[in-house]
Amino acid sequence: MTTSPVKLWRRQKDVASLIGKKGEILLWTIIRVPAKSFVDQAPYPVVIVKMQHGGNMIGQLVDWQQKDLIIGKEVISVLRRLRTEGKEDVIYYNIKFRPL
Amino acid sequence: MSGIIAYGTYIPKYRLKLSEIAHVWGKDATEIEVGLRITEKAVPGFDEDAVTMGIEAGKKAISMAGIDPASLQSVYFGSESHPYAVNPSSTTLGEYLGVGNNYFAADLEFACKAATAGMQATLGLLNSNAISYGLVVGSDTAQGKPHDALEYTAASGACAYILSNKESEIIASILEMSSFSSDTPDFWRRDGARYPSHFGRFTGQPAYFTHVLQESKNLLAKSKLKPSDFSYCVFHMPNGKFPRNVAKKLGFTDKQLAPSLVVDKIGNPYSASSLMGLAAVLDISKPKQKIFFVSYGSGAGSDGFVFETTKAILQKQKNTTPVSKQIVDKIYISYQAYLRQTHII
Amino acid sequence: MSINILGTATTRFGELWKISPRALAKEAMINALNASGLKASDIDALFVGNMLSGILGNQANLGSLLVEELGVQVPAFRIEGACASGGLALHNGINSLLAYRYKTVLVLGIEKMTDHNQDEITSALMAAGSDDERMAGATFPGVYALMAQAYMHKYKVTEEDLASVSVKNHYHGSLNTKAQYQSLITINDVMKSARIADPLKLLDCSPISDGAAAVVISSEDNARKIKKPVYIIASEVATDTLSLHDRKSFTSLSSVVNASTKAYKKAGIKPSDIDVAEIHDCFSISEAIATEDLGFSKKGEGAKDITKGKRTLFKGDIICNPSGGLKSCGHPVGATGIKQIVEIAEQLRGEGGMRQVEKAKIGLTHNVGGSGAVAAIHILRI
Repeated sequence: MTTSPVKLWRRQKDVASLIGKKGEILLWTIIRVPAKSFVDQAPYPVVIVKMQHGGNMIGQLVDWQQKDLIIGKEVISVLRRLRTEGKEDVIYYNIKFRPL
Repeated sequence: MSGIIAYGTYIPKYRLKLSEIAHVWGKDATEIEVGLRITEKAVPGFDEDAVTMGIEAGKKAISMAGIDPASLQSVYFGSESHPYAVNPSSTTLGEYLGVGNNYFAADLEFACKAATAGMQATLGLLNSNAISYGLVVGSDTAQGKPHDALEYTAASGACAYILSNKESEIIASILEMSSFSSDTPDFWRRDGARYPSHFGRFTGQPAYFTHVLQESKNLLAKSKLKPSDFSYCVFHMPNGKFPRNVAKKLGFTDKQLAPSLVVDKIGNPYSASSLMGLAAVLDISKPKQKIFFVSYGSGAGSDGFVFETTKAILQKQKNTTPVSKQIVDKIYISYQAYLRQTHII
Repeated sequence: MSINILGTATTRFGELWKISPRALAKEAMINALNASGLKASDIDALFVGNMLSGILGNQANLGSLLVEELGVQVPAFRIEGACASGGLALHNGINSLLAYRYKTVLVLGIEKMTDHNQDEITSALMAAGSDDERMAGATFPGVYALMAQAYMHKYKVTEEDLASVSVKNHYHGSLNTKAQYQSLITINDVMKSARIADPLKLLDCSPISDGAAAVVISSEDNARKIKKPVYIIASEVATDTLSLHDRKSFTSLSSVVNASTKAYKKAGIKPSDIDVAEIHDCFSISEAIATEDLGFSKKGEGAKDITKGKRTLFKGDIICNPSGGLKSCGHPVGATGIKQIVEIAEQLRGEGGMRQVEKAKIGLTHNVGGSGAVAAIHILRI
């Protein structure tokens, strides 16, 4: 996955505008065999969320317990570290979801 | 006169019981809990850091203030766990909060008093009318070395305060402030070192107590007030014992101190510690109450403030998630999960 | 103009550590030429379907590389559409014939995956998805797992029902000497296998494979002794959004519905006219949904029909994946689309051996890229 600071910078305003938005879980799964960048976070849920402000988003679910993994569960978008990057790489932040 | 117009706090959801830590290292859990007067501490999620927590707290403060984030004209971010050694947390925070580009910004470090120092700097800008609104954030994901005494207390959290010179919006005026500073190497972390070092009992009397007590005496003298003039007092909380001792020494009662003692249930979130205690007090204050506040940062120094609440606080208290509510919104984790989440394994 | 398949060939699929990409390609290409009774110099152009050569092997410019293996400097192109690269390469080869640009072309699908380890491959395959999906930490199994949940929830289908897809395909694959896995498995085996992305388990997922497949197609009836000509009577492609979460439905791939509708119309046939089909079962759920999107089963009944044996060799009506599908035969990503053509051509020519579908006259291949962002549908007949 990219480690470019340019991409991080280019996405800022869009990402900033998506923090703190509510939605409900449409679908969920638990990723147990992750891609390289996410190896140290697995297992973790990935959810498709129907956003209150319209459209759907996909994201990691954080601060979760098994009882949160239900279709219809209300969630809110938060900003978190995307993954554990290399020691010299720029730090990526991304939208994730937290159960309400 | 300037003061606080809004505040926001964030405590991560996870808790590690001190008894769990004690069990791993073969220590007596009760002895430790009684000695430190802490039962559990707040642990960050795997993907949380000082900036992400600062954004959570900052958003809440902006919501309480009811202002456009672009009206903020300064951002000072105090932490001892800034994500970068060189790259400003303050502007990352500013960007994701929507502050725009026209603001003073800097990152501060002074152990646990980095953010209160930021408040004093902001007050300088406000009282000289260089700005109208300023944001100060204290946020830390404090690291404790496994098997070290600090492992029991090093915790995580964030506080955001918006200060202004707009009288009608102030919920707590700042009547007085001062600072007591020295070069006292009680607790330090070299560049590149993962964990801080500390000098055991030297962190007590010559460090915490000397600075907090002296600053407190100076502040009382400067403001011409006595402890009994205050409804509440707040001190930096490296553990549950020190603030209780210092309050007693100064002549404050248990009742004045109690509401601020968040440390018992969340540990010490460093730059957010004293500010979290202050927020817990502001959550329950009535108008026209005086609050005595002295922080402490190792190395060392103490920042003191005398606050007085206003009528405006009642309305704004309704627009917040109280500290007490966040304290009980928790998930207990194991020691192993704690090691994973704090990236030790 | 009729599009004729002159010759086909595929390599063994599997973990072919000793065989290089060049060697794999050469084997498929030379064998396809031989089967066509042609020499390399009879070819006007080479179309190559491949997804990961650049990402994993740092090798682009694949067209030029592979004509070296042919020994002729003809025009060569690499076409990419994730796992539909093979089908798309064929579509482009066919278009070049329809445009009268070339008369006889060689289409190759090839993939080398097993030089790399699991998490590198998982990451590389996510190039088929969207940035949003990658940054959400989703994987391919994860995206299809979300579809599986939607499908199971909507149609009251169980994990055991989906497992029957893998069981069927292993049964077919056990009859295919080129298949990566030629062993039988049971529903219980699938249910007990390790979870990859809930509810999908290891045996719900197609494997990592190496392999190559090639076909020679021509617009000429070619006097050169084609014993059993097979004609491609439709070649249609359709696209949909890259991200699953942007789709209108989570239980149907509109790219497949659209492409197959166009294909059936072009071929002048109905779904029930299909005797045999090669389906893109990257995951068990994929085949269940595909049989509905292609019109073989009613909506919501795809998985159930498979459990009843309706798509199974010697039992069912429209036989799906006689080769063993992606699950059992293997899924060297870029090669799959062409392997599907090879299988259907063999079936229609009566060369299906132990897995021959009786009286197969019309066949269909269903090749999908990503989670449904692109679909290539081909219909063949004798």
